[in-house]
Amino acid sequence: MLRVNEILSPILLYAACLIGAIGVALALPRRKPGIALIGGLVAIAGVGLGALALFLWAADAELLPSVFFYVFGLLALGSGLRMITHPRPVYSALYFILTIIASSGLYVILSAEFMAFALIIIYAGAIIITYLFVIMLATQAPTEDDEELLSTYDTEARDPLWSAAVGFVILAALTAVMFRGSDALPPVQASAGSHELLAQMPRKIERELRRSGAIRADEQVLTVDGVAQVDWDSRLVSLEGGNLAALPESFVTSNVEELGFNLLADHPMTIEIAGVILLMAMLGATVLARRQVDIEEAAKALQARRLSLREGASDA
Amino acid sequence: MLELAQSAFPQPMAGVTLAHYLVLSGAMFTLGLVGFITRRNLIIMFLCTELMFQAAGLALIAFSRYHLNLDGQTFVIFVLTVAAAEAAMALALVVLLFRRRESLSSEEWADLKG
Repeated sequence: MLRVNEILSPILLYAACLIGAIGVALALPRRKPGIALIGGLVAIAGVGLGALALFLWAADAELLPSVFFYVFGLLALGSGLRMITHPRPVYSALYFILTIIASSGLYVILSAEFMAFALIIIYAGAIIITYLFVIMLATQAPTEDDEELLSTYDTEARDPLWSAAVGFVILAALTAVMFRGSDALPPVQASAGSHELLAQMPRKIERELRRSGAIRADEQVLTVDGVAQVDWDSRLVSLEGGNLAALPESFVTSNVEELGFNLLADHPMTIEIAGVILLMAMLGATVLARRQVDIEEAAKALQARRLSLREGASDA
Repeated sequence: MLELAQSAFPQPMAGVTLAHYLVLSGAMFTLGLVGFITRRNLIIMFLCTELMFQAAGLALIAFSRYHLNLDGQTFVIFVLTVAAAEAAMALALVVLLFRRRESLSSEEWADLKG
């Protein structure tokens, strides 16, 4: 038996795609600024309809909806929309920072804390600041708040209707595929892999045991080749001298530790390759943006003579 | 293969499935795509590619969470690296192009299509 929401939610999603397309097409910068505001409102209505469809779909699965997903998701989409529609480049970059902060909120919900912080530091802290510098280098910012002073290439979009239509047809096709047989996310739980990982960190175990008062200050965790001896069925740790100590149930690895082990144990070349890519980009950017200064032969000769005179003076 | 293990973490995930994140990621990607096609300012066009990178990263993290596998998060480090490298190169090129024509409009370079 088909339930109502199984039919209703996809229809709502397609309607959301359509309304979103109309809204984005209207909101893109054009000569008459009044339409952009209406377009923005229509686009927000489309996003709201999409959220409603997702909400109904989740309610149908008899699960509690997560407030934070909707808050961060709407924030990301709203600021993304404002980013691609704002006529002033600096504001676009600032709205993109808002998108990044919302995405990092989503990363935290997905229990990827390290990547959430890395995202804010690298994107908002480094990449967008570079963009802002280039925007300030390459645009003559109007001092007054006057739309007339903006360049035409900023205030008029190219084919807004067609591109929005194409984009949102792609989105509708994507969502149609995504809604075939996707399950709820599995609960995060301790696994055999995390036990192995914990056993490789005897100092962390020792610190935790000291903190909870399970062992005295002079006792130490027994290690064989740097691996702590733990019986995971009873959660008992062997200590030097033959004693045993119980590990608390809540003692698990953190996302940063797991990511670190994954990065360095399973993918040891990742950091090296990333470093090479960044080095090449840095060299390329330096070579590309270098300003070629033409110095005349006479000026060169004069400078050389000055230098040699100065050297002669310091030698004497 | 190491797996996520955070039983102490509260479960605000309930009710939000993988499809929710994929739809959100798809919508972000579409916004970036539409922006890239429609905007005529070179800097904004590259900023829109960054939005598409963001969407891809979100999908990777969501899949990583769905499969309880950290490889997706490791790959996002690569996405960040490529985004940073792309920003450096693209902005150097934009500065170079701006010096030539004193304009950021992509249509200034329409004669390149031959």
